[in-house]
Amino acid sequence: MEGGRSRVLCKFFMHGACLKGSDCQFSHNWSDNASQVCTFYQRGLCTYGAHCRYEHVRASRITKPAPPPVPVPRHLPAAIPPGSNVDSNSTAETAVKPSSIPLKDAWQQNSGQNLVNSVAGLSLGEAEAEEPEPISNDPSDRPICAFAQAGNCPHGESCRHIHGDLCPTCGKHCLHPHRPLERENHKLQCERNKKNLEALLKSQDIECSVCLERVHSKPTVSERKFGLMSGCDHPFCVGCIRGWRSGSHAPGMDINTVVRACPVCRVPTHYVVPSVVWYFTPEEKEDIVNGYKNKLSEIDCRHFDLGNGVCPFGTSCFYKHAFKDGTLEEVKLRHLGAADGSTFIVKNVRLSDFLKF
Amino acid sequence: MTSRARLFKEYKEVHREKGGDNDIQLTCDDTNIYRWTAYIKGPVDTPYQEGVFQLAINVPEQYPLVPPQVRFVTKIFHPNVHFKTGEICLDILKTAWSPAWTLQSVCRAVIALLAHPEADSPLNCDAGNLLRSGDNRGYRSMSQMYTRLCAVHPNAGRPNSS
Repeated sequence: MEGGRSRVLCKFFMHGACLKGSDCQFSHNWSDNASQVCTFYQRGLCTYGAHCRYEHVRASRITKPAPPPVPVPRHLPAAIPPGSNVDSNSTAETAVKPSSIPLKDAWQQNSGQNLVNSVAGLSLGEAEAEEPEPISNDPSDRPICAFAQAGNCPHGESCRHIHGDLCPTCGKHCLHPHRPLERENHKLQCERNKKNLEALLKSQDIECSVCLERVHSKPTVSERKFGLMSGCDHPFCVGCIRGWRSGSHAPGMDINTVVRACPVCRVPTHYVVPSVVWYFTPEEKEDIVNGYKNKLSEIDCRHFDLGNGVCPFGTSCFYKHAFKDGTLEEVKLRHLGAADGSTFIVKNVRLSDFLKF
Repeated sequence: MTSRARLFKEYKEVHREKGGDNDIQLTCDDTNIYRWTAYIKGPVDTPYQEGVFQLAINVPEQYPLVPPQVRFVTKIFHPNVHFKTGEICLDILKTAWSPAWTLQSVCRAVIALLAHPEADSPLNCDAGNLLRSGDNRGYRSMSQMYTRLCAVHPNAGRPNSS
């Protein structure tokens, strides 16, 4: 079954609400990656432009690997619920109208069952009779009822599909009673979604101290982000605070006590972390900061440039310092102790460092 | 454009708090939101008390990343205010500016400057020298005189700068 599916992670499944269940032609396997191709760009207009988080690949380039069309024909046998038979008649019939496949699933169980009976009565082929038996006996292979999952099943108790258990978080009957792994995944995902939603809601009223507006009231989505200060807890738009820290400043302005400091409390902050949600506990802040750092540490540093360049941030750089062969850069810091007891870290030792002019 | 949005925000805030802050009156030019006028009351127990001083505020396009230009329109005898041009020597208007300051808080800082003159970085050397030489009485009487002459009006209303 898995082989007929696309290797692209289903986006509905990612959010815990794929109504197609095991009949979905996209992967329901967490180890697969979600599609990273921007469909808006392919249609000709992506409002995010260069800031889009998805890949901007032209449509002509993507048709070559063509992940969705390929699995469709192979997917057909898998689309038929295991309860039905693998009769040549029914496959031929369904193959004629591939577009009707997903719609047909909900009702196919009945007709399929009838077919099984008729076929069993007619031919009594040993292999055919054997095959559907063990599968239909294993309830974990049967999909849960999509109607019940969406809220209301017209068949009620007499429905032939399994009715999923109620998920306490999202309030939908979407927990498969016989797939413990999927249940756990869904619960985790659901709770994470709920947490995000709550945090987002609470973040609505937070104002930026630079533009004095609510951060989430900014006109474009890309602007609706907080800039978290590492040194204090004052909220800013990420655009405002970055504009202040990197803008041109009057001569005489001290970088460390004025520009790199929080505009409100003047506590020096070495870096600003962008985040869509605001935090209300130190743990939440730590989670956001760590998540950001982890994400950056997977991206190659453009200063380091796979070993060709020199990164001015050295060991403090958040980005990945890896050479072309994939090995990570190992840095041994050299500490120099001065006579007065102070130490400093040397990068490139030059003779001029030791000369006094 | 961010400067305009932020100034509108401050304008609304000033109108909302009208009457709340008695010693600062901020008004915006009817046709240009980048030009503001403020009337501040001289702080009590200083030579400037009873005086009402007019400030001209010129807001640059890059505000709030760049501080507003503030100067006294009313003549004032103070070590950190230029006697002729009204220029103010105040760190938060120059090197210690922060985008979290508002025009309102800038006015409050100017009032604080009136109460606490910094004689070591004078723009008005005469006033600075009086203070530095310890002649507090001389400084008081000079500044009081100019306050009475230029900043106190018999009708106690807004002074005319002309």
